[in-house]
Amino acid sequence: MSVIYFIFQQTMLFTIPLMIVALGGMFSERSGVVNIALEGIMIMGAFTSILFLNLTGGKMSGQVQLILAILISMATGAVFSLTHAYAAINMKADQTISGTALNMFAPAFAIFVARVIQGVQQIQFTNTFRIDSVPVLGKIPVIGPMLFQNAYITTYLGIIILVMSALVLYRTRFGLRLRACGEHPHAADAAGINVYRMQYAGVVISGALGGLGGLVFVVPTSTNFNADVAGYGFLAIAVLIFGQWKPWKILGASLFFGLMKAIAAAYSGIPFLASLGIPSYLYKMVPYIATMVVLMFTSRNSQAPRASGVPYDKGQR
Amino acid sequence: MDYVIEMLHITKKFPGIIANDDITIQLKKGEIHALLGENGAGKSTLMSVLFGLYQPEEGVIKVKGREVKIKGPLDANALGIGMVHQHFKLVHNFTVLQNIVLGMETVKKGLLKMDDARKRVMELSEKYNMFIDPDALISDITVGMQQRVEILKMLYRDNEIMIFDEPTAVLTPQEIDELMVIMKNLTDEGKSILFITHKLNEIKAVADRCSVLRRGKYIGTVDVKTTSKDAMSEMMVGRKVNLTVEKAPAKPGDVVLKVDGLCVDAKQEGHTKKLVSDVSFQVRRGEIVCIAGIDGNGQTELVQAITGIRPANSGTVQINGEDITKRSIRYKNTHGMAHIPEDRHKHGLVLDYNLAYNGVLQQYFEPEFQNYGFLKEDAIYHYADKLITDFDIRSGEGAATITRSMSGGNQQKVIVAREISRKHDLLLAVQPTRGLDVGAIEYIHSELVKQRDSGSAILLVSLELDEVMNLSDRILVIFEGRIVAQLDPKEVTVQELGLYMAGSKKEGKADET
Amino acid sequence: MKLKNKRNYVGVLSSVFAIFIGLLVGLVVLILCNPSQALPGFMTILTGAFTHGMRGVGQVFYYATPIILTGLSVGFAFKTGVFNIGTPGQFIMGAFGAVYAGIMWDRLGGLHWAAALLASIVLGAFWGLIPGLLKAYFNVNVVISCIMMNYIGMYLVNWTVRSNKTLFNTLRNESKDVASTAVIPKMGLDKVFTGSSVNGGIIIAIVVVILIYILLNKTTFGYELKAVGYNQDAGKYAGINEKRNVVAAMMIAGAIAGLAGGLLYLAGTGKHIEIKDVLAAEGFTGISVALLGLSHPIGVLFSGLFIAYLTAGGFYLQLFEFSTEIIDIIVAVIIYFSAFALIVRSILGKIQEKRAKKEEMREGGGQE
Repeated sequence: MSVIYFIFQQTMLFTIPLMIVALGGMFSERSGVVNIALEGIMIMGAFTSILFLNLTGGKMSGQVQLILAILISMATGAVFSLTHAYAAINMKADQTISGTALNMFAPAFAIFVARVIQGVQQIQFTNTFRIDSVPVLGKIPVIGPMLFQNAYITTYLGIIILVMSALVLYRTRFGLRLRACGEHPHAADAAGINVYRMQYAGVVISGALGGLGGLVFVVPTSTNFNADVAGYGFLAIAVLIFGQWKPWKILGASLFFGLMKAIAAAYSGIPFLASLGIPSYLYKMVPYIATMVVLMFTSRNSQAPRASGVPYDKGQR
Repeated sequence: MDYVIEMLHITKKFPGIIANDDITIQLKKGEIHALLGENGAGKSTLMSVLFGLYQPEEGVIKVKGREVKIKGPLDANALGIGMVHQHFKLVHNFTVLQNIVLGMETVKKGLLKMDDARKRVMELSEKYNMFIDPDALISDITVGMQQRVEILKMLYRDNEIMIFDEPTAVLTPQEIDELMVIMKNLTDEGKSILFITHKLNEIKAVADRCSVLRRGKYIGTVDVKTTSKDAMSEMMVGRKVNLTVEKAPAKPGDVVLKVDGLCVDAKQEGHTKKLVSDVSFQVRRGEIVCIAGIDGNGQTELVQAITGIRPANSGTVQINGEDITKRSIRYKNTHGMAHIPEDRHKHGLVLDYNLAYNGVLQQYFEPEFQNYGFLKEDAIYHYADKLITDFDIRSGEGAATITRSMSGGNQQKVIVAREISRKHDLLLAVQPTRGLDVGAIEYIHSELVKQRDSGSAILLVSLELDEVMNLSDRILVIFEGRIVAQLDPKEVTVQELGLYMAGSKKEGKADET
Repeated sequence: MKLKNKRNYVGVLSSVFAIFIGLLVGLVVLILCNPSQALPGFMTILTGAFTHGMRGVGQVFYYATPIILTGLSVGFAFKTGVFNIGTPGQFIMGAFGAVYAGIMWDRLGGLHWAAALLASIVLGAFWGLIPGLLKAYFNVNVVISCIMMNYIGMYLVNWTVRSNKTLFNTLRNESKDVASTAVIPKMGLDKVFTGSSVNGGIIIAIVVVILIYILLNKTTFGYELKAVGYNQDAGKYAGINEKRNVVAAMMIAGAIAGLAGGLLYLAGTGKHIEIKDVLAAEGFTGISVALLGLSHPIGVLFSGLFIAYLTAGGFYLQLFEFSTEIIDIIVAVIIYFSAFALIVRSILGKIQEKRAKKEEMREGGGQE
């Protein structure tokens, strides 16, 4: 049983950041802007918030510190994504190019500033955020050990974000308008909706969630940050496509990817998998290969927002 | 006089062109006011000015006598002005109801609340006799239905002034009749309508007054009842137009194109739909055969299946007796087929190539233009110069002009010149005059006749009844993917042709009457 | 012909504008960090490459060799309408091919290095071929499949190197040295640029640039590739096999990026495949090089040299206790602003219009 709990908890550690970032990408693409800069946004979000953890370590209680770090990561991501929004929306720049520039900028910036501030590029932090067992809930059989022991509040935050995303996208005025902008911005414009503003909103939400995803990725799996999120931003884009731009399917895709990542990272500690003798590299490659295979079967009838990636130009009709 | 909208002395300039030159339009309350003009006469610009998409250099807009500044669609909407655009502004994967309320949603505790909206939409649809299914997805309903959604959108917003931009272009004659009734209903309820069109019949049928624009200038406003169609037409083009083409009777020769049992299927939402269904016909040397039909009845797919741009599901296509159904497009292009495509920007031209490169789009690989895989630039430019002189193509920098920067008419001329100048037995011309001005239309018509007389077999696809009647030697009517009639243009009236196109008359019955 | 020239001129201007802003941002960052050292540091970026005379110039060519080719790979694909973000994967596959052949095929003598380069080309082409096929036959977005191929390639190479005792240097956790016969000859360059790492690779790179230029602009194949790149539907209408086209384009792009990997890892400068889960930076730099060079082969050549020049200068920045990442920041800003080409174009267009109007008025005045 404990093996299953272990795998599940490991899976969640990989799943939650992927899901948060992919949901962020969903908001951006649903508004009509492709955000390939998620990797860079994650790095920036992780960088400022981990730096905060480093500077304030031991000065306040773990959970308060983490909550502040969460807010900082989201704010950083949101601000950084504004540059992408400006290029994509105001300047009608090629969204892939602008996103690539952000992806290049982020790690260079993080390393450069880290060196200026503290001399080395790795930023250390002390992990005081793990909750051994949530009171009451942690004692529930099966569910307790899975979800409420050795947990991080970021896991619950991820679940809240998922539910909120689905609600916002499908049940609110904002969601309806956002989706209209991604599918047919001219229709939205004719209906009196400010397309540019909605697209800004979409990109900034993706920035906030991307920044948060960076922090959520680093905190449980490491004790230092080295200007790198191991390609999770790119993987999140794959999750987004795998999940067909829909919140619940994104959850499913992130769980699959998370499980594969968990196995690759921890298979030697799992007797059953260790005895199979499959090299860890194979598990590392599986999510990417699976994405390609899924894309082969889904690309013909893609559910991608129709106007995604196309700069919106009022004049063209 | 009680004007709801007055656009007075509007002037709007773009670099190099005056799109609207001192134009004045006044719309009375409760009238249907037609705005007549050719493509490029400045109608769209004028409406964009009314919706605040462009700011005019000169002139004022008054709504109900009060001068207003309109900065965007929101302002226009607040003033009670709504528009049914030529290309509907509907989100394909939203429901009818979602599309109607978009931008005017009601919320409760932050969540969408559709019940009230649904009730109002149903009331409106009953009041104006426009029945719709509020929960159907836009992508699942017909074009006519989609137009109703657009009208309901305006009614839901309490728009008093409604603009219809070329609303009949995509409709069947029945749907057009229904639309006319709806428009009358709307004005009976006190709405005012501005009706943009270039179809005189429709103006005669429904409009009270008509304002005419030509090349950006205001020509005049006439009372429709007391003005003849000819007079209005002359105002529109600036001279007496005779769109009848001078041509001798056809002398059909050998069969060039033989189509047999051609079918094209499309998969939609899981079930298969026949877009082209068991179509068979022949085209001979020296005749122009026209496929007539309302847009969206399978003519696009039929031609694409013949050319190979889209695969046919069954049936055969022969050129000069050779079965070429499964042959590559390249093979067909080099074995007698020339093709003026429906969409000149999508298929006809590489807009970022210059005129010279576009001129050899299907010939760059011929020995004339290449040597061991290397392009013969001189020959290509020389050939382009010849096309330019022969077909009077106007462009800024001759053969080196990037085609994107050319006018639509001259772009079309490039395609026509290229296709006609190639060695061919069969010419497929799909809406060859779409969006062109009268001069260019006349020119292309006469070129097609010339080609016919020099021995080409021509298959023409057209949506314009006049073009069909004047140009063709034989008419095949296509309806819902089937050829429903073969007619002789000399023996059939426009009205009858319209009935066939609408599917309300079939060949068997035609013989009885 | 005139119009074409004007366009290029505007394009070059927009690149110059982007470079200017990028350098400006770099200067500002330096001033913010350490005002007293900022100016000397900045001058080092601009002129550092010449610190050691011809040797420095040689180093610039050495740095430039792989990124000119990855840039050419991206730029070439761009011209044919696909965004090849898969250069990191193709690059490392090419590097692996070269290293594998460089170690294993040690009986080829004088042809060894050429055979190893061929292996790098073949593996790179194969890694480009897959996204091309997926695009052509399954309509899979090339950007996404390329990103996937990058990671698959990286893991595959690491896995293969690690598990092969002949290739793997357990002590240093990287690949072993290639045979001396596999090292690319200097082709006389060591005499000119004494003491630098430059080798025949730069000559090979320039030859490839010229070949691609000819292919794109002078041949029917290039005509087809570009036609489909500009307008896929029109290409289809013209009877061009657009599926074969995208497959060929990606294959060639992959081959070029693979060759880039081969040239770097056979340079004889102690480069080894390190077993790290990090994508090849040279691949991503290629994207910058292509964008800055306007995807034009000759433009790519110069932008590759330019970025290599900055990198060489940046190396000396450490003397002023600035880290070399400032170069990456500058390049990122340059790329960001080069995406604004549209705006620059319209600003220049307006200036030209005004000038034309003034001239018209003047001419008009003269007549009166």
